[in-house]
Amino acid sequence: MTAFLLNLATLAAISGILASTLNFIVGYAGIFSVAHAVFFGLGAYGGAQVALLLVPDPFLACFVAALIAGGLSLCLALPALRVRGEYFVAASLGLQMVAATLFAELKPLTGGIGGLVGIPRPEIFGTVVPVLPLALAALALILFLTARLQRGAFGRTLQSIRDADSAAEALGKNVNAAKTLAVAFACAGAGVAGALYALHLSFINVESFTLDQSIQIMAMVIIGGTGTLWGPLVGAIMLLSLPAVLSFIPFIPPTEVGAVQQIIYGLAMTLLMIFRPAGLVGDQTKGRSTS
Amino acid sequence: MTEVLLKSENLARAFGGVQAVAGVSLSLPAGQVTALVGPNGAGKTTTFNLITGNLRADSGTAHVRGKPVMGLKPWQVARLGVARSFQDLRLFTHMTVRENVLAATETAAWFWQPGGARARATREDRAVTALEATGLSALADARAVDLAYAERKFLSMARVLAADADIWLLDEPASGLDLSSRLRFGELLRAATARGVAICLIEHNLDVVAELSDRIAFLDQGRVLAEGDPQSILRDPALAAIYFGDRPQEAA
Repeated sequence: MTAFLLNLATLAAISGILASTLNFIVGYAGIFSVAHAVFFGLGAYGGAQVALLLVPDPFLACFVAALIAGGLSLCLALPALRVRGEYFVAASLGLQMVAATLFAELKPLTGGIGGLVGIPRPEIFGTVVPVLPLALAALALILFLTARLQRGAFGRTLQSIRDADSAAEALGKNVNAAKTLAVAFACAGAGVAGALYALHLSFINVESFTLDQSIQIMAMVIIGGTGTLWGPLVGAIMLLSLPAVLSFIPFIPPTEVGAVQQIIYGLAMTLLMIFRPAGLVGDQTKGRSTS
Repeated sequence: MTEVLLKSENLARAFGGVQAVAGVSLSLPAGQVTALVGPNGAGKTTTFNLITGNLRADSGTAHVRGKPVMGLKPWQVARLGVARSFQDLRLFTHMTVRENVLAATETAAWFWQPGGARARATREDRAVTALEATGLSALADARAVDLAYAERKFLSMARVLAADADIWLLDEPASGLDLSSRLRFGELLRAATARGVAICLIEHNLDVVAELSDRIAFLDQGRVLAEGDPQSILRDPALAAIYFGDRPQEAA
């Protein structure tokens, strides 16, 4: 039971990082990306290869993962950010499709469909350490940075771009640079989450980095409350514990848990958007405002 | 002769078959309010968009204090000291009034602004001054979306003020304001021109134009038909005929 809860807590912390970083670009910059799992995956494969080929040092794995995910997000974001709103959603959807295929096909780097197995446990100074404290520390760091950026000038810049990008530009803000920077920060964070995920499970494959995962992360953000600090974390914990809670309900046969879960997700999302349109933590006046 | 801060020559731009702007030459002298007057579709807002880099000109040039601005992006033009307001305001609706104005003082796109604590204090001072000048101090914590009509117009002006630019391009900033708000708006412009700001104002209400402007440029069908002091332009019967839709028949 303890192991089960520790596993759940670790996954919740990792999902919390994913949701918080996605929220940073969705909630503050208004960039609706359905490709967050791509950068989660890039970080996971990068971190896993560091542990497999070099040393199972979690800090090095996270650093390399952040570098790969953040760096590649720059190459991909620069052309994609030229398109706005719903067109960006379509562009990121395309990216998600392409990346999932590449993850499945690039055998030397990703292990193909079978994925990477036998990823060693993380070691610090030769001692094997659990991933949970590392994930919690990374989550705390990300939340701290998000809070700092959100309250400061950069947060205002992103919000001004979200509300009226042409006016922000007319005030001297380099809109594309600010968006790119926000995307790189968020994707580097997703990369760190990926490395921790790989080290925690010691096995990864493309299944964890598909469109389903991207949508799940988006759902965490929306359910918790976009543009809030704690909302994405609340959303991540709720969506992750839901299957666990369902598996304890005796009258649902284990084979049907998946289907019941989908129905509950759908119902919860619909009810939430009707009664709490700004998410569980969000300022409810925002969701209802007329403009 | 006062210094000309912004000068455009023969700006032209066509959209498909429509020649929206057909060779507009404008000079904005420091410390003066120049009103752009003309019927709808005369090319007034398009002229602004060509100068600020929101639209690319087919031909012509524009210089800000002698520096060419053609081909620059809007944010680059803004950093040369050109602030503009929009006819549809484009406020940062979900941010507070104070945040709207603070955002106007922060131009760096990096994670932090340059200059440290001292520069931050200066920016905050500028924001406070802009809020006081526009009478919005009491509403500093209200969100822009919750403001009344006139307050939104003044918030748009507060952003221009806080941007600390010396060239203002204002697109119908006074439309729909009542008399007392209009007087307050006039004071804002006078205070700015006294500091040497060059203002260009698009305005349809000829009373406002007569009240506020030092010069008028009359635009029609993408051309400057006449330029001069308000009295001579506003009394010109030929221009009045065009403005009020009584266009003289062109020779067939």
